[in-house]
Amino acid sequence: MSAAQSVFFTLVTLGIALGVSLAGVAYFRLVTLPRPAVGAFNGNDMVIMMGFVIALPFLYLALPGALLPPVLGLTLAGGLAVAYGPVVRSARLRWLLIAALLAADWFAARTAEHDPTHALPYWLINSTVIMLMAVGAANLNAQGGLRLRHVARFALALAAYDLFFATAVPITQRLFDAVQGYAFAPSAGLRVGDLGAVLGMGDLLVYALYSTVAYKAYGRSGLATALGLVAVFGALLPTLTPVTVEALTGHLPEIVPAQIFFGPAAFVGHLVLRRRGPERRMADVRPPAPVPASVAA
Amino acid sequence: MFDAGIRQFRMALAMVLGRPIDVRSAERLVEDALATIAEFGSPGEDVEQLLRGAAADPQLRADLTNKALRRTAGRLADKSLFYAEHFEAAGVDPATLTVDTMGRVPVTTKTDLVKRSRDFLCGEPFLASRTTGTTGRPAEVWYSRYEERLWPALVALSQVLRGNVRTTDLVQFNISSRATGTAYAEMQVARMAGAAIRMVGLVPPDETLDLTVGTDAPAPTLMVTYPSYLGQLVILARERGLGPADFRLRRINVGSEVLSPALASAAEETFGAPVHDGYGMTEVTPVAGAICAQRHLHIDAGIGLVEVCDLETGEPAEPGALGTIVATPFYPYRECMPLFRYDTRDLVRRLPDAPLTCEMANVPATSHILGKADHVLSTHAGAVMPRDIIEVLDALPGARWPMRYRTDVTDGRLRLELAAACAADNSPADIAGRLAAAGIDATVALTDAEGHQLRRYRCDLVEHSFAGRAS
Repeated sequence: MSAAQSVFFTLVTLGIALGVSLAGVAYFRLVTLPRPAVGAFNGNDMVIMMGFVIALPFLYLALPGALLPPVLGLTLAGGLAVAYGPVVRSARLRWLLIAALLAADWFAARTAEHDPTHALPYWLINSTVIMLMAVGAANLNAQGGLRLRHVARFALALAAYDLFFATAVPITQRLFDAVQGYAFAPSAGLRVGDLGAVLGMGDLLVYALYSTVAYKAYGRSGLATALGLVAVFGALLPTLTPVTVEALTGHLPEIVPAQIFFGPAAFVGHLVLRRRGPERRMADVRPPAPVPASVAA
Repeated sequence: MFDAGIRQFRMALAMVLGRPIDVRSAERLVEDALATIAEFGSPGEDVEQLLRGAAADPQLRADLTNKALRRTAGRLADKSLFYAEHFEAAGVDPATLTVDTMGRVPVTTKTDLVKRSRDFLCGEPFLASRTTGTTGRPAEVWYSRYEERLWPALVALSQVLRGNVRTTDLVQFNISSRATGTAYAEMQVARMAGAAIRMVGLVPPDETLDLTVGTDAPAPTLMVTYPSYLGQLVILARERGLGPADFRLRRINVGSEVLSPALASAAEETFGAPVHDGYGMTEVTPVAGAICAQRHLHIDAGIGLVEVCDLETGEPAEPGALGTIVATPFYPYRECMPLFRYDTRDLVRRLPDAPLTCEMANVPATSHILGKADHVLSTHAGAVMPRDIIEVLDALPGARWPMRYRTDVTDGRLRLELAAACAADNSPADIAGRLAAAGIDATVALTDAEGHQLRRYRCDLVEHSFAGRAS
């Protein structure tokens, strides 16, 4: 790996990881998502999410190439429609914007396929779609009452998952190769000439989720801790490790799963933050309105 | 969140399809509600839809009601000896029954229930509850284990989501120990809602007041009792010079008797907590109602069917006319000893056919309960309802609740005798004047007769203990 590639990789990864984390917190501060009458996100939801994390790659790999973009596109469209309802209240306008965004993604991917000089627009549009999705999903969970302890355990489980599927059963690389260049590929990054950097959507979701929930749970100190962990263990270590390994062994690893660094760090970060006291609840962050008379009756 | 959603979906499906509700799932929904309130401080915005159901198309609602009716009647024809005969005698096929044709089934009376109690059984009995018998011979109603787990779960869910019960509450239960079903359910509700409960019963009021006074943890925050007993507590508290600062009550729930605005207001002033009047009946549980700010009685139509039937003809009462509440709890809410078209004899007035404007406008309503139909007094000036009299008497200056009186009609005129001990400084002429102002023409006399010779109240079911007695 060249020095330019290494620097590009590190800076883009750092920018995207911190960007999605800060965007998640900004969304949390500015937008209130509706919630059902009964139900708060809890550890069971993380188990279910982990189930999806395990199952989806197999589904993606099993799907014929032609079916993959429609499936991913529909999933993204549904997710964006739910997460950005309070931002664009008109359902018609919201669906119009989502359709335009996804159409642009599809068109850019098709164009880039035939002419690699169009790779930059594709990556910009696809990254925007994926980051919007990660920010929305993180907020659905955070504003749904998810606790930092649940996210920390989820991150730890993801670390184990990533390690297993990157080494014992190397599915991560296969998945990475399978979706690269497709419209709605679940990854964000940038490619300029020979320089490239890509992060998986799962990584982005974890960074946005951890940062947003840490902010919800412990305010500014929680956010500072989370951003530090995302920067160091989510961006710097995973991007500097390949070049370091190459320098030491002469062999450049094909893939370095970021979660094997971030998961344990996130868990320890939670243990440190926990010493500050109990996590804030949504009721502390956003005090509820009085119960209407029609409900209390 | 996901599992709570699944549980809500399963419960909604069981309710719509009329299948038995998974009780454990309902209990876990209460836990979900508690977790929601712990995290957010309140339930989500669409809580009203969860509690009262979505505003469905009237035709759809009618279809669902007809299906529930046929399901309930069909099960009764199969399992209840009484109803098998009852439907056959009426020439009614349960499979074709609708809201429009159910009037062909004669009402079930309390006499039927008392005389043929065993013939109503449709399931395995677990707990018997006896009515207080203040209006006649007590009736015994059996509930199954399923019912005794389901109802508290549904009530707890509703109460937790409405903020009526909190984990920090201590509920004080001052209801007759005969009301075993209510007592059992109240304990289960408190357990599921994370509250504490003190089962006091109808002990002498001074013992209850001793337990109620205080602003710290052992003092109750919620009280469940009868209006007549509440009246005794108010009098006693005033005699002791107690006021709102001496209590930590935040809500008082009463039912089973007529609650007058005067008594409710006095209780609120004395205890510093709002008094909520509810409607329920051992025989038709879990059909129940609540009173809105405009003093309508709202009864949830999803759990059972409530009719207001003309006292003379038994046909549906006309708008504005008097009628008795005839209730049919639906299966699967009622399983062991269900009743079909049970005539409660609770008297109400059908509201005019105009849109409601109260805070519970989306729930069907009647007037407030006016008393028992058998206690209506026919005078030359028209019918006089128990509520009419109680509201005037309770509002007398210096009234000592509960107001002990007896009435009869002589030569078409109401004659009222009021216990002198309750009248305070009000002369018979003063009282007659107040009755006249309320549109009741009556002669009034004071009497020294004892309580048991006058109108009976549930507070008369007092349960004595050895406390405070010489050894």
